[in-house]
Amino acid sequence: MDATPGTPRWNLERPFLTGRFHQEIKAPGQAAGSRLFSMESFSRGSDNVIGSYPVSVQELLVIDDLLSALVGIEGRYISIKRVRGKAGHVIFHIDPSMDLALQELTERIFPLCQNYVLINHFVESKSHFKSGLVNHAFAAALRALLLDYQAMVAQLEHQFLLGRLSVQGLWFFCQPMMGSLHALSIVVEKASSNNFSGATTLNLLQSQAKAMAGDNAIRSLLKKMTQRASSAYLAILERWVYEGVIDDPYGEFFIAENKSLQKESLTQDYDTKYWVQRYSLKDGIPSFLVSVAGIILTTGKYLNVMRECGHNVQVPLSENSKLTSIESNHHYLECIKSAYDFASGELLNLIKHKYDLIGKLRSMKRYFLLDQGDYLVHFMDISRDELAKRPEEISVEKLQSLLDLALRSTAAASDPCHEELTCCVERVSLLKRLSTLKDLDSTEPSECNRPPDSDPQSELLSITGLETFCLSYKVQWPLSLIIPRKALTKYQLIFRLLFHCKHVNRQLCMAWQVHQGFRAINILGTAILRSSILCRSMIKFMNSLLHYLTFEVLEPNWHLMLDRLQTVKSVDEVIQFHDFFLQKCLKECLLLLPQVFKKIEKLKSVCLQYAASIQLLVPSMYVPEVASANNGAGSFGPGRSKPWRSKNKNQQLKLAAENTIICDSIMKFEKEFNDELQSLVPILSSSSQAEPYLTHLAQCILGLGSEQ
Amino acid sequence: MPREIITIQVGQCGNQIGMEFWKQLCLEHGIGKDGLLEDFATQGGDRKDVFFYQADDQHYIPRALLMDLEPRVINGIQNSEYRNLYNHENIFVSEHGGGAGNNWASGYHQGEQVVDDIMDMVDREADGSDSLEGFVLCHSIAGGTGSGMGSYLLETLNDRYSKKLVQTYSVFPNQMETSDVVVQPYNSLLTLKRLTLNADCVVVLDNTALNRIAVERLHLTTPTFAQTNSLVSTVMSASTTTLRYPGYMNNDLVGLLASLIPTPRCHFLMTGYTPLTVERQVNMIRKTTVLDVMRRLLQTKNIMVSSYARTKEASHAKYISILNIIQGDVDPTQVHESLQRIRERKLVNFIEWGPASIQVALSRKSPYIQTTHRVSGLMLANHTSIRHLFSKCLGQYEKLRKKQAFLDNYRKFPMFADNDLSEFDESREIIESLVDEYKACESPDYIKWGMEEQGEASVAAAIDSKLVV
Repeated sequence: MDATPGTPRWNLERPFLTGRFHQEIKAPGQAAGSRLFSMESFSRGSDNVIGSYPVSVQELLVIDDLLSALVGIEGRYISIKRVRGKAGHVIFHIDPSMDLALQELTERIFPLCQNYVLINHFVESKSHFKSGLVNHAFAAALRALLLDYQAMVAQLEHQFLLGRLSVQGLWFFCQPMMGSLHALSIVVEKASSNNFSGATTLNLLQSQAKAMAGDNAIRSLLKKMTQRASSAYLAILERWVYEGVIDDPYGEFFIAENKSLQKESLTQDYDTKYWVQRYSLKDGIPSFLVSVAGIILTTGKYLNVMRECGHNVQVPLSENSKLTSIESNHHYLECIKSAYDFASGELLNLIKHKYDLIGKLRSMKRYFLLDQGDYLVHFMDISRDELAKRPEEISVEKLQSLLDLALRSTAAASDPCHEELTCCVERVSLLKRLSTLKDLDSTEPSECNRPPDSDPQSELLSITGLETFCLSYKVQWPLSLIIPRKALTKYQLIFRLLFHCKHVNRQLCMAWQVHQGFRAINILGTAILRSSILCRSMIKFMNSLLHYLTFEVLEPNWHLMLDRLQTVKSVDEVIQFHDFFLQKCLKECLLLLPQVFKKIEKLKSVCLQYAASIQLLVPSMYVPEVASANNGAGSFGPGRSKPWRSKNKNQQLKLAAENTIICDSIMKFEKEFNDELQSLVPILSSSSQAEPYLTHLAQCILGLGSEQ
Repeated sequence: MPREIITIQVGQCGNQIGMEFWKQLCLEHGIGKDGLLEDFATQGGDRKDVFFYQADDQHYIPRALLMDLEPRVINGIQNSEYRNLYNHENIFVSEHGGGAGNNWASGYHQGEQVVDDIMDMVDREADGSDSLEGFVLCHSIAGGTGSGMGSYLLETLNDRYSKKLVQTYSVFPNQMETSDVVVQPYNSLLTLKRLTLNADCVVVLDNTALNRIAVERLHLTTPTFAQTNSLVSTVMSASTTTLRYPGYMNNDLVGLLASLIPTPRCHFLMTGYTPLTVERQVNMIRKTTVLDVMRRLLQTKNIMVSSYARTKEASHAKYISILNIIQGDVDPTQVHESLQRIRERKLVNFIEWGPASIQVALSRKSPYIQTTHRVSGLMLANHTSIRHLFSKCLGQYEKLRKKQAFLDNYRKFPMFADNDLSEFDESREIIESLVDEYKACESPDYIKWGMEEQGEASVAAAIDSKLVV
């Protein structure tokens, strides 16, 4: 509103043009205009008070004065006084020496004069730039009415000059205008005393029209005024609902634009409010739009998104769809509804088809939820060394190139979106990351403000890229509306969990392969058998966990979302369903249940330690011998002393199998693993009351339910 | 091209089932008979590179090595419409062309003779892959080439590629009809030793059961080799779907096998498949749901290994692990419900010494093959009753060995020269211990099996001492 131009100086300096001249009465020292002079000379000349004339002359004189007073000009016997502090308010006084009957009649006409002055003042003052379009339109409508009024006064003067007008006649002719101007003056007074503009003016007009419902003429007048005043407002509305543009120089419209929120923030800012706050409802919604304000807001928002995408969309206009009136037949509501349907359908179409939302989500699912995990297998193969480093030592560029390689050479290559995928390395473990994200609706709020883990330093030292590796995805506008930073973060959290599970599984598989080397000897009764079985239990645990995460959580929820997305009507619904999907997955993936999640992490770390020590301990027992044998054998020609060698190797294996160090550590891991697993049982069964999906998990990883 | 798998098919049977397998893979991936991708198959999302690689002209070449000691079957392949599919450098036919005469020792010895040639081929294929996952060997255990040369190959692969997985699809002979190969029990026993010691996983394909299934389930009066082989190729292709159509889990062979095989030697898997169809055969179309499929997979009549167990023994038999690969358009919630139902009905008898349950892998179906069934399923199971099959082999061997029959054929070869039959005895010993181990698996205290002599106390002490620390 600062931008509105001020009233030009010439307008202020030349009050003649404002019509206020008539009230700027008798400013002393003002150069006496000829008219003023003549008036004074006239009044001075007729020194006598009006009471000295006969009544019939008095009547003529007072009619003459009244005709002036009707257009706000002081007469000889009627004086005007301004009311202090109330702009535009004046009080007319009549010479008290006048015949009482005449005096009485004249005073009855004064309210009309006062109302005229008041309305005229309103018209003049509200025509200034800063008053806003609605007030301009209202003022213009009033001015038109005042013109009629002035024409009437001119007619009366004509009659007077012809000698056909009496005070009673004047009174009679003024009657129709009396009511109208009175009603309008009430409106005008309220509007100017509260400094109404825009929607409030419209509301005032409407409520006044309702209040006057009993008086048909007044009501229709007020309705007409409302109509005229609202036309400017409707034009703004029309541009918004049909084009998504706010063309509102005076800030009268009920939707505000926050230009500081850029659409880029969607992909950068975790807490971005772009979609919610870029356009928002303000106070002061016109009462006739209150019920559809939300729809109007979203309609324009949708159109806006399309415009930001470079599509010049406009709701197709027809004669019918012009927003011209806000009459009670609710035509305007239908227009808004159809504009909304169009905008929402069009945007949905755009996002679903041109920007291929479902395809993008599928590709997100493939990469983050490991829907097609083959690329990850390859990636983990080739990035093994890099990921084993500490997070700060990892070269992200190198990882990126390895990731690209893995994507290109697996089934992912056929996905057109695979180039949007980037990788990143976080600094903290998943558990820590979860505790820093406070707004994920963790079920244990107390967990959030508990002091950080006893020894953060040790965690920093022990974590590697395997714990902190993460993917990122370049989401382009307008899909960033549906997958903003926050949603992406949720995908990342699930990915990190799955990635780590896959890593543990891999290590266990490698430990399994170590065991496979013992085929040559009968392992019954040795530690290797025990270890094999422990390894099997761990693999079973990890597989069941992964099965639960993927087939019991991700896949059913994904299907549910996909079904919903088929029938969805608007982009807001898309956002809602997608968020719901993520939140549910996050929860059912245990990421929001710190108590259970910590247990799972602990179990995974036991598995990892076990796998690492098996891979380290067992081969160290016999590998050197085998290596030397291999070096010696060199070629695979016939005639090498194979029986001897295999015997020797078998002895080595036997030794390894009976080694007490291995035996002891296997026992230790076995106990630790079983204890941890058992301690998970009560946790799961106690929490499964509140979280029914935990029963599924318990069935999966503990094989519970078979006994029941 | 990660996690590649090289297929080696040895001998008559191996090459026949191998050929069917490649036919099936080509159909599933939309690869034409000349290796060129069909026009309709360009939008994949599948992983052809696990089993194929592309030549310079973009045509797909199977990572397959075809080996035989006689030219008949391979010539057949080279004259078939698929002749341009294979890499001709990967075909090995012995120069003598005389075959192995159904003699394991001959096959083994000839394998030894040509090891440089065939290992050259293996090395070339292995070098051509980025990160080789392992080998798949197709052969039969009864004849001469598949069993003998296959055995030699297994040992060599195990030596040279000790870090790689070796999986075999081994066809066991039909026990119901008298075989034309009288020394079949010898061959089987000697091959079984290698399968026990040198393979990571053996998928047992029992010709007896395959024939029975063809007769009973498919209503064929006299099933041909081609028809039983197509059953085998169905199983082979289905068991690799999770590698070729990647999903959430089981995207590599090692993960697939590790969950099925508890201890190094117990790596003999049974298979079951439903619903079965054979080419040109119109079957009654059933309603297929996940539960239906899973239930049917558990029925012994659908399992491709005959059960030789007597009823009392059969009741002790237990599943060590089960993986069901369900293909088709499946609602994941159905899987959960089906598992629950099966658990409630106690349809599966699992081992007691560790956690066990049916694992399920969901996999897409090839879009290029129209099937009448919505859902199909393959079961890979590690079941202790397989020991009865080995016992049967042992029994037949004993019968023959007692008579000292047909041993002269073997004595001609270096391994058995100078009447050194220790190889037979050693093999027998190993198979017996394998049978014992499977038997041990049926007991709830498998873990402590054989520990008695060392004494429980020492184990307990070991735990206690750790606890104190």
